[in-house]
Amino acid sequence: MAVTQRESSAGYITRAPRSSGLADVLEILLDRGLVIDAYVRVSLVGIELLTIDLRVVIASVDTYLRFAEAVNRLDLRAVDDSKSVPELFEKGGEDMAETKTKGAVEGGMDAIREKIGLGGRGGDDDDDEDEGRSQSRSRGRSNDR
Amino acid sequence: MTRFYLYGITRPREVPQRLRDQGISLVEADGRAAVVSELDEGPVEATRRNLLAHADVVEQLHEDAVVLPARFGYVVESREDLLELLALPEIDQLLGRHATTCELTLKGTYEESVLGAVGAELQPLRDAYRAAPSVDAGIALGEAVGQGLAERRARDASLVLDGLGSLVLDVVQAEPAGELAAFDFALLVERDSVEPVERRVEELAAQLSPPLRFKLIGPLPPYSFVRFAMPAVA
Repeated sequence: MAVTQRESSAGYITRAPRSSGLADVLEILLDRGLVIDAYVRVSLVGIELLTIDLRVVIASVDTYLRFAEAVNRLDLRAVDDSKSVPELFEKGGEDMAETKTKGAVEGGMDAIREKIGLGGRGGDDDDDEDEGRSQSRSRGRSNDR
Repeated sequence: MTRFYLYGITRPREVPQRLRDQGISLVEADGRAAVVSELDEGPVEATRRNLLAHADVVEQLHEDAVVLPARFGYVVESREDLLELLALPEIDQLLGRHATTCELTLKGTYEESVLGAVGAELQPLRDAYRAAPSVDAGIALGEAVGQGLAERRARDASLVLDGLGSLVLDVVQAEPAGELAAFDFALLVERDSVEPVERRVEELAAQLSPPLRFKLIGPLPPYSFVRFAMPAVA
């Protein structure tokens, strides 16, 4: 029993050794890290556009209506099929949550990319893990202008 | 005149070949070293490539030893300015403090099913909305659900921090981003506590998942724990 529980809980943990996507890196590098204004001069293009607030405001009418709609949907589903097949109910909730969350996050990142001229969804919005390494090889070029 | 893009500050040591090939070098002074690449004229562009490269450099170097990562975008105008920066006593203190530490990012996000689980006393509002799904009924129900979710979030955030207990040396809590986000912690831990933290998170997931999902990133350089009070600028 303990083993089963452990296995099932592992499915709820995403583990990454390094910050992998642009979203992780944006949050960390723009918000955190050594701040040393007194000794250096910052010379940046585009950074002011990156400081726009990524946070979603919870207390909005839009959010409330989405919550209400979701609760209603969950209620209906519970009435329809949860009593006979609870697994289906859980699985369905999972899928929906994933789709919805992903949509919100990607939408946000698209907005950012557009603002900083990184292109929209078209070309390179795949945040796979190897990207940090492969991208950084070309750093020299980008700085030596 | 040579300018330097500053990635962070570390102790003097070998720079891996892969990073040397990218033009990364150290400017050393008195047991401290600035991680830099030389820059010609022109601004630094906040592009995806440059942001990822910055993270890659400090995270790669942090695998072997302490790095105090700089915030993205600092250009130091001369070698003298770099040496002046390295000479700050605060830098040495931070290098000492973080000699054996690392940062872990731990984020929690709920699955949508949490919305059906908060606020058992909401049934009248749910019934009213289902009977007549008007905007007003929706706002009343959604607001109550949002309230219940906020309480759930606060409860789970404390449960997680309590569960991690003394494994965590320090924590910075960011406002979680997203409607279904639960918490967003930067955890300062000893490097040899990473595995115990992983095990503890598994235990917490057994207790709280579903609907809570965890994302654990690291070991990272101590991005969130390198603040120091700057001397007043003249």
